[in-house]
Amino acid sequence: MEAWIDFAKGPLFAVTFLIMILGLARLLIIQVYNLIISKGGRLKNAPWKSILKDAVTWFIPVKHLIKGTVIFSAFSFMFHIGVILVPVLLADHIVLWENFLGANLPAIGQGFADFLTLFTIGCILVLLIMRVFVRRQRAMSKPMDYFLLIMVLLPFASGYFASHPGSNPLTWESMMLVHLLSAEFLLVLIPFTKLAHIVLYFFDRISGLHWQLRPGAGDKVARALFDEEARV
Amino acid sequence: MSTIPEESKIQTVKEKKSYPYYIENPVEENRVERFLEAFAAILKYTDYKPLLDSYCNSSAKCNRCAVTCPVFQVTHDPRDIPCYRTNLLLDTYKRYFTIGGWFKSRFTSTFELTDDIIDEMLDGFYRCTACRRCTRECPMGVDHGMITRLGRYILSLMGIVPKALQVSTREQLEGETHNTSQIPKAALLNTLEFLSEELKDMLGIEVEFPVDKMKRDYVFFCAVSDYLLEPETLMGNAAVLYASGDWDRWTIGTCNYDGINYGLFYSDWHLESIIKQLIAEVDRLKGKNILIGECGHASRSAHDFVPVFSNGKPYPVYNFMEYTLKCIKEGRIKLNNDIVTEKVTYHDPCNIARSGWIIDQPREILKSFVPNFVEMTPHGKDNYCCGGGGGLVSVDEIHDFRMNIAGKVKAEQIRRTGAEIVISPCANCKKQLKELVEHYELPCQVMGIHDLILKAIEIPGAKSAAERNEEAEMFAM
Repeated sequence: MEAWIDFAKGPLFAVTFLIMILGLARLLIIQVYNLIISKGGRLKNAPWKSILKDAVTWFIPVKHLIKGTVIFSAFSFMFHIGVILVPVLLADHIVLWENFLGANLPAIGQGFADFLTLFTIGCILVLLIMRVFVRRQRAMSKPMDYFLLIMVLLPFASGYFASHPGSNPLTWESMMLVHLLSAEFLLVLIPFTKLAHIVLYFFDRISGLHWQLRPGAGDKVARALFDEEARV
Repeated sequence: MSTIPEESKIQTVKEKKSYPYYIENPVEENRVERFLEAFAAILKYTDYKPLLDSYCNSSAKCNRCAVTCPVFQVTHDPRDIPCYRTNLLLDTYKRYFTIGGWFKSRFTSTFELTDDIIDEMLDGFYRCTACRRCTRECPMGVDHGMITRLGRYILSLMGIVPKALQVSTREQLEGETHNTSQIPKAALLNTLEFLSEELKDMLGIEVEFPVDKMKRDYVFFCAVSDYLLEPETLMGNAAVLYASGDWDRWTIGTCNYDGINYGLFYSDWHLESIIKQLIAEVDRLKGKNILIGECGHASRSAHDFVPVFSNGKPYPVYNFMEYTLKCIKEGRIKLNNDIVTEKVTYHDPCNIARSGWIIDQPREILKSFVPNFVEMTPHGKDNYCCGGGGGLVSVDEIHDFRMNIAGKVKAEQIRRTGAEIVISPCANCKKQLKELVEHYELPCQVMGIHDLILKAIEIPGAKSAAERNEEAEMFAM
């Protein structure tokens, strides 16, 4: 078991982390290329000011707590705080970053980390419950939407149990292996699922730029389809 | 395979109540293949692919869009959730145009485009007024309005587009009159003559509308339907231009005098062609600026797409309200603030407020001469659509949908203000709001901002506003 844990902590983590980084880099490059290179000079006509102003309001989305969405939106926002802070700044994870990236990040205290972890788990449960019981959310949901929430829940729950032996239903080794494998599976999922919004979020928020249409494209589309003068 | 019935009406989707529209040549066969062919051509020649890639991998399906949508607020029908509609197109894209989709389809029973889904799209994309209120509240920034438009674009390439829009656009691009209301040049000139006479009666000033004058500062385009339906708005525009001393700085072109651009609602090709037609007219007249009358989508399409489709330096585009406010600020026109005593509210047309740049200007104008001005709640960028946006107002056969569903929230919003006059500086919104006022028996009248200005403007050498007001009251008695 120890060997498996070492393998998961070492080479497997490196590989899965690399898959995530390369996958996200691919998405980033495609988006940057298509926006900046492909649209080029057309972007100077875009309403940058209003697009960026709208984008900025979403980083602290208090203004967007509109009636009918307050609970979901608040929990969703708070959930992201835990999801970003705990994996990056937990003391045990800091060692990993040091080993692999040489980064020397400040750690958050264990008490705060425990609170954030439980809080994030609570947020995930609320989001899951709302997806099940709110009709309009259920109507939109697909198996993947539930699966991803559970996949995010797993490393948080297993991590908490592993660091709190009193509440751990399994052995420390088993729980740690569950924690490592689930977290690494999540890393692999990121670039291939909607979790890719880690990167794509920023491009979606400025997607108003896509109103800068490509001149002559409509004519080419019509000609390709009708093989004659485009019909009105 | 389901087919479109002979009478060209689109059938209900999965037994739900639907609101059909007429199409010219119903597509009956190979609809799935034709849809995918059109989609592929769009992806090949346009810039939509990276947008779809991004949306596919980040759409959160959080449903915030649902609660912001005035259609969903009334129906509570899942098919009216903007994200649901958007995902119909995203699922199709993922399945047929991405490696992941192809890979998944080899191993699992996955999404397949069917005639039922196409039915759902052609219904759903025209149950959306493209007001983009949902876009504003999407935490991811997914532009559902753009996706609805893209969906409509694909459908239009299969020949599925409301007949009302298609016929108008064809006349504008290929017809003799080159405008959506088929107003010939002779009729335009007659109308302008009539407006001159009306202005003479009303204001006591002799004016002749400038037509085809070269090298003017402003070339004027309004929604062409205003020449038939909104003479007071046009007279208000003329009064401002006359009072400001700019009468010899503007002109109307007779080769193209229509600002309407339905391409904004359903097709890149039509959008670009109509913009180029507009630019050609300004080129012909050697004009310097484009001045758009009271029309939301005409303003947005010209303002946003003249720069995109111009070769070389684009003409600056102004909405008429910007011009009027400038004149007020410069002290070139005076408005009498004793004339309009009614309670007045303002409806923000989506295309120039939420998707545009005109929010404060009309309010500054109104507050300068209307003592009893009241805001709707919400307003500005958060305002509700009139219910006829995205071209729906031109589709008469969906009148019930526009009245009982799409416009219901707006009607309640107007009622809550207690206003006697609703100002709507948009030809489309005006038509829809007038129908709503009648349908819901709201105790108010709908008019353009320049209709109101016409009542209150003071022009040196002309009858005073008070005098005109008295005359109008006597005439009404």
